[in-house]
Amino acid sequence: MEAEKLWQSVLGEIELQISRANYLTWLKDSKIISQEENAILIALPNNFVKEWVENKYHKMILGTVRSFNETIKKIDYVVHTQAIDLTRINKKINQEIQKQTSFSELRVDPETNLNPRYTLDSFIVGSSNELAYAAILSVIKEVGKKYNPLFIYGGVGLGKTHLIQAAGNEIKKNYKNEVKVKYIPSETYIRDIVSAIRNKRIEDTKNKYRDIDVLIIDDIQFIGGKEKTEEEFFHTFNALYENNKQIIISSDRPPRSIPTLEERLQSRFEGGMIADVGYPDYETRVAIIKSKLEEKKMTLTDDLINIIANKVKRNVRELEGVIHKISLKSEREGIIAKTVIMDTLRETISQPSLNISPQQIIQAVAHFFEISPEDLTNRSRKKEVVEPRQIAAFLMRELLNLSYPFIGEKLGKRDHTTIIHSCDKIAQGINKNASLNQKILLIKEEVYKT
Amino acid sequence: MKLILLKTNLKEGLDAVSHATGENTHLPILKNILLKASSNRIELAGTNLELAISKYISGKTIEEGGIAIPSGTLSSLISNLPDERINLETNSNTLVIKSDNYEARLQGMSPEEFPLIPQIKDKERYLKISGGILKEALVQVVNATQYSEWRQELNGVLFDFEESRLVFVATDSFRLSKKIIASSQFESNWPALKVIVPIKTIQELIRIIKDTEIISIYFDESQIMFISEETEVISRLIEGKFPDYEAIIPKTFETEAIIEKGNLMHALKLAGIFSGKVNDVHLKIEEGHKMIEIYSSNTQLGDNKYLLAVKSNKGMPEIIFNWRYFVDGLKAISEKDIYMGINGEDKPVIIRSVNDQSLVYLLMPIRM
Repeated sequence: MEAEKLWQSVLGEIELQISRANYLTWLKDSKIISQEENAILIALPNNFVKEWVENKYHKMILGTVRSFNETIKKIDYVVHTQAIDLTRINKKINQEIQKQTSFSELRVDPETNLNPRYTLDSFIVGSSNELAYAAILSVIKEVGKKYNPLFIYGGVGLGKTHLIQAAGNEIKKNYKNEVKVKYIPSETYIRDIVSAIRNKRIEDTKNKYRDIDVLIIDDIQFIGGKEKTEEEFFHTFNALYENNKQIIISSDRPPRSIPTLEERLQSRFEGGMIADVGYPDYETRVAIIKSKLEEKKMTLTDDLINIIANKVKRNVRELEGVIHKISLKSEREGIIAKTVIMDTLRETISQPSLNISPQQIIQAVAHFFEISPEDLTNRSRKKEVVEPRQIAAFLMRELLNLSYPFIGEKLGKRDHTTIIHSCDKIAQGINKNASLNQKILLIKEEVYKT
Repeated sequence: MKLILLKTNLKEGLDAVSHATGENTHLPILKNILLKASSNRIELAGTNLELAISKYISGKTIEEGGIAIPSGTLSSLISNLPDERINLETNSNTLVIKSDNYEARLQGMSPEEFPLIPQIKDKERYLKISGGILKEALVQVVNATQYSEWRQELNGVLFDFEESRLVFVATDSFRLSKKIIASSQFESNWPALKVIVPIKTIQELIRIIKDTEIISIYFDESQIMFISEETEVISRLIEGKFPDYEAIIPKTFETEAIIEKGNLMHALKLAGIFSGKVNDVHLKIEEGHKMIEIYSSNTQLGDNKYLLAVKSNKGMPEIIFNWRYFVDGLKAISEKDIYMGINGEDKPVIIRSVNDQSLVYLLMPIRM
């Protein structure tokens, strides 16, 4: 009989023999740690319990154990605090808006800058991110040798930071202190360079970054256009690369699409492995929701999970936010009703109502593809204008939630079925075609800017 | 069991152990204290299964034995008793309490049902320290802790011990307080040790340690034990890694200021009257001025400002603090003047006495 099953049945038997209060106090939190041929080892939550069980229940336990497995002659007890702490992790997350600042060092490892919260175990792998995940795994296995640099890109809130920080944490764990890991958001890097220039201490900064074994830079796109930082980074990059130090970079778009990034950096980034993180598919979203619920010790029925997974498609962070809100609400109100979830979804997903007009979208699309706005509204079915027109329709639908006939009206009196087709086509294309996705992100950026 | 003892002794014993009794988890016996008489001593004990306190009291044993009795009832009974001499006698599970004009029968439970109190077997290795010094140090740091559900390792005081020094550290992640005790003030044969002792245990120690006694401290992997002549406290330790406190404490400061403590405390409390929900009070030293400005305002109440003489090397930008936390730090300092080290409006500020660097209090500002 398996050890755990054995202990479960023993507990079940003993529960009937002693009072409930005694069972809950002394034996409920016990666990079996190991079973050898004729001995078992039992973990108890503290010394008081150990003392009591050893002196008062040992005979009964041994007798019961032997009734299931006659070969066991000896039972040892140890104190194992974990045994209770796991069950005690509280359900409440009543984090109020905390203005009192706390020592940031307590949250983040001061040496590596890594937040221990990000682990590979909590990263959920689906078809949208399996390439990036696999690349990270092989980097962890062979630091600095296989994929160097590793460049990971993808949209907002899809887990880039999680993935690269988890890689850092994992490397640190596996190689203990032999490998020096450093995680830097590119903003911090820029600030470092700026203050180094101001204080005329650029040499110090150079050295600081060059004796790192694993350099992880987040959101590299921000250094685009900052010439001195780019130059410094270029030299640092080369120094590390030459010495087979691992470099992991994340960005919201591929190197080629960072508009102001110098070519020499661009080509270097492309020299390693480039992996993208896409939108999670339905199954991945469900898995994410389930794991988040587990973290919060909540349960939802499958059709409620289904509703959430179907509503929040584009952003894992948003998904987390929705679940967080639901958990707070359910704590306040006691039950989780469908209406609560629907309300939460409505509050969260509704886009910031910027004053965007359909005309602005047409302008932005036209400007991006370098065609005139009239091209989008006339009858031409040339290849150069068909895709932009479909994108415009898609954006109007997504950003403004306009009706299909109305969009048709705006795009040169087209039939609403044409528009439906356009929207579907782009929506599907986004998931398959990274460059299309990229284009749409850039256009959105432009729309929001105007 | 049959005993004769003095009310004062019994009361002192009950006061010491009754706080350790459990608030009833599933086991009603935890609300009881154990009274046990053997030929040479009388023992009282209480436990909540995380902490146990035993106290030996003097009295005359006529017949050995023991009983578990409800702590609350016995305590109030004894403290209201007018006579000094008390006779205690058990009649199976009933305790008969008799004095000159009074007699009571109190339902108890069999002593067999009382939890067995664990021991630390290895008493070879010890740490000995005077009760007064230990108590003072614990009182000084314990204010900086706060019970937190999600960070178990902060729910206690760190005992960080090396041959040359013993350091007590407590933090709730908003403030941190650290007390160093030099090697001349304790005696030990442990090489080095780092353990986290739960807040509740610390509070009980502060309550029952007497200044004059010598406390011997013993450890094993999961427990700590404090033994003095009359009292034994055993407690679980908190598992987990305490944050690297040395990394948090800044070593250099932009602004260094010296202020009279009493006035500052007064000013903070005064300004605190107008502070908002987060107890926010603004502190500022203008460049070149010899004054620190302590200011707070509230849209409904109004505002107030207090100017206080300060010696500082330069000005200090406006920094907002939780005044209650600030006062907590000042309270622990016994000297007349305090030293403040400041590094900017979002960096921790350090507070200590001017000459004595053994006690350091670190406080994070509020960001509004």
